[in-house]
Amino acid sequence: MEINNISSYLKCMKEYTELRVQENNNMRITLVNGNVVSNQKFSKGGVSARVNMGGYWGFSSNPEVKDETIKLVIDEANQNAKYLFDINEEIPFNLDKEKISEHKDFKTKKERWSQNQIMNFLKEIDTYILNKYPNVSRRINLNSIDVEKTLLTSNGTESYLYWPGTWLIIELTVKKENVPYVLYQSNGGLGNFEDNFDKPENLYSKIDELYKKVINKSEGVYAQAGEKECILDANLAGILAHEAIGHTLEGDLVINGSVGGPNLNKKVASELITLIDCANTYRGEPCPVPLYIDDEGTKAEDAVLIENGVLKSFMNNKETANVLKMESTGNARAFEYSDEPLVRMRNTIIVPGKDKFEDMIASIDDGYYFVKSGNGQADLTGEFMFAIVEGYEIKNGKIGKAIKDTTISGVAFDVLKSVTMISDDMKWNSSGMCGKKQSINVSMGGPAIKCKINVGGR
Amino acid sequence: MIQNEILEYTRKVFEKEGADKYQCSIVRTKKQELTVDMGMMRMLRTTLDDSLRLLMIKENRKAQIIINKTDKKSIDDAVMTLNELLQTAEVDKAYDISPKQEAKTFKLGKEEADIKELCDFVKEFTTNLKEKYPLIKYQFNFSFDYKQELFVNSNGVEFIEKNGAYNFDILFMANDGVKTTSFNGTEGSMRELKGKLLDFALVEDGLKQSIKELNAKAFEGKFVGDVLIIPECFDDLLTQLAQVSLEDNSLISNTSVFRDKIGEEVFSPLFTWYTNPVSEEICDGSAITIDGFETKNMSIVENGILKNYMLTQYGANKTGLKRSESYGGSFEVEAGDKTYEEMIKGIDKGILLCRFSGGRISPSGDFSGIAKNSFYIENGKIKYPITETMISANFIDMLKNIKTISKERVNLGYSIMPWVLATGATISGK
Repeated sequence: MEINNISSYLKCMKEYTELRVQENNNMRITLVNGNVVSNQKFSKGGVSARVNMGGYWGFSSNPEVKDETIKLVIDEANQNAKYLFDINEEIPFNLDKEKISEHKDFKTKKERWSQNQIMNFLKEIDTYILNKYPNVSRRINLNSIDVEKTLLTSNGTESYLYWPGTWLIIELTVKKENVPYVLYQSNGGLGNFEDNFDKPENLYSKIDELYKKVINKSEGVYAQAGEKECILDANLAGILAHEAIGHTLEGDLVINGSVGGPNLNKKVASELITLIDCANTYRGEPCPVPLYIDDEGTKAEDAVLIENGVLKSFMNNKETANVLKMESTGNARAFEYSDEPLVRMRNTIIVPGKDKFEDMIASIDDGYYFVKSGNGQADLTGEFMFAIVEGYEIKNGKIGKAIKDTTISGVAFDVLKSVTMISDDMKWNSSGMCGKKQSINVSMGGPAIKCKINVGGR
Repeated sequence: MIQNEILEYTRKVFEKEGADKYQCSIVRTKKQELTVDMGMMRMLRTTLDDSLRLLMIKENRKAQIIINKTDKKSIDDAVMTLNELLQTAEVDKAYDISPKQEAKTFKLGKEEADIKELCDFVKEFTTNLKEKYPLIKYQFNFSFDYKQELFVNSNGVEFIEKNGAYNFDILFMANDGVKTTSFNGTEGSMRELKGKLLDFALVEDGLKQSIKELNAKAFEGKFVGDVLIIPECFDDLLTQLAQVSLEDNSLISNTSVFRDKIGEEVFSPLFTWYTNPVSEEICDGSAITIDGFETKNMSIVENGILKNYMLTQYGANKTGLKRSESYGGSFEVEAGDKTYEEMIKGIDKGILLCRFSGGRISPSGDFSGIAKNSFYIENGKIKYPITETMISANFIDMLKNIKTISKERVNLGYSIMPWVLATGATISGK
């Protein structure tokens, strides 16, 4: 970035103001059956300012980060806020927060790999699959993002964050009787390529496992429709926590009538369930999408949403905290420099329990073990539907045959009330983006949970 | 630098680097957006952005980069990165750029919005909502978006496009203090601010649906029956079908079920489908394709017969098929001969599908998911709004089994669609 030190612009801030200089850099490489079908880089950066006057927001952004454009965006954001203030009645909001500062840099300390080295790494993986499993189609997709942002607010709060993320997704397809069966595996998370990957051979055992799974799936059976006792693996428990529960507990959506609002301080889940939107750290380790100061200059705190089955709180920015008479949890996030901060999740998890995974499987006579979701849809009523791309029958306490693609659906709080066991392990998934006006990186995670759920099946 | 200078500088860098072929476009955008939340105007946002898209071909290898900086150093760095990308790129003789065409400037819509006029238009809508639909909660963005694109390539193509339009999206639900409905949403585009937003396309229909949904109930049972698809939902399903079976990826990878079907009857003869990106009536299209051709309106299906794919120059070179004059979007479907009311009366058992929430349509046409904001129809009457209702069907088969298409069509600004009644979907409730 051209200008990193923006402290001197504090004197230009006459009203409540947030000034942000940000640059996002993305790389995307895709190999399909060895052919490089995508090999691109994207870079987007600039400066933005958001001003509040009498309760109304003005925002302005410019791709050029220069002294004159920084002053220009502050001035234009002021004009925009004033325009709305002049034609509307004042809304009393308290946007004051303590002055804080933070500097976090997760950029790799290792020597950076060249584009050639990274491509060779991917081609080695592709060659391994081709040589060992010539009967499968393969897709290897590498996505990386580096976000560097500096924030200054009118109370003197300053924040610098360099956040990199890298994901390698390997997808295998086998055909049986001309029907394609697909399964993917996601690797990576917080950090640059060099921090997530070392030698291609470190991934070979995972590829072997993926191959076995996709072959099993091709020989699998159709799930039977109806409400069943199921084990949702960590990946699915995390998606349930984010999509079906988390969105209904975002302050702006609570204000607009989500099912979360009327249930505050009520029992909405089994006593075993504690659900947290973690700010930056869990069990002493940085979360995949760590946030220390949010894009409004608020210290990012863990939002304990459900504690022992009781709905305790919502996720807020400064404005929704005012309306809901709560504290801001530091959930205001913007994805690109030209985006305004919105109430967004960060690292949403169901807290692990005390059960052993094997005991959970052993406790089910006739049900399913669902492992991976293809995509998911959820509603502010808590109604959800997820496509299942990897799952297995459970018969007489043992994992049985693989199943073909199916769907699961239900109402989130009802499903959480049916939870009777939670495993003592924890897995993260951070390869997805969450869309809500802006698409943004989020992570989700958790243990495996035992619950009752509607299976689409046949 | 101004846009012409940026392109001139970039050309020189490309030529110095020894590019066999290059393509360069700079798109400058300006958005003026008003956000309404909690029933009030909350934010006025002005964003400027540049997008410099550089593509270089050397010895049949291609690399591309997109940056939003236009100073000389950023351009030099970007071209250096392109050279690095080229070293790891695949050799593919299908890579090419568009041939020389007559230089043209395209002007669509206006260049500037009057913010007062925009605010007044939005204010009228929020006032109408407060008076007529007090149970509706909503988040609403209304913007004027202007882009100016300059496109050049090493074959001498020089195009300029200036394109301005108003765009909006509304996310809404009904809440009576006890019950909350599923969220519903609508979006649209327009060149000018005319009339009331409440009267635009299906905005008011959607609000009425949400109020009715306060009394929605879970559908019980399972049947195979009719589906009357509303215009917005039909456009969404057609867009998905195009992506998985009529565009580059599916035809190159040979997963399209329509490969070698040009000239054949693949759908009901009642169905005629166009992509009209430079139509007077649709305002989200573009006059220049991503690979530097002048866009033209085109039929995809005429009376059930497949007329054209939506193939780029690369897709055409890879498949040996003809490049298409439009690469999709801005869809228009011809009207039928029955009114909406007549269509409802003709349904023995089925649903009115207002929004589909679920998995993407597969290359074979299969899809399944939840019928959102939808209604149960029986004996020619809309009976009640439904929740927790799954729909699974094959969309290609549904297009073969179209029963009727409505006389009425809705211009959403980004497409013009009728209501379409098809059969053969499995509807299952609790």
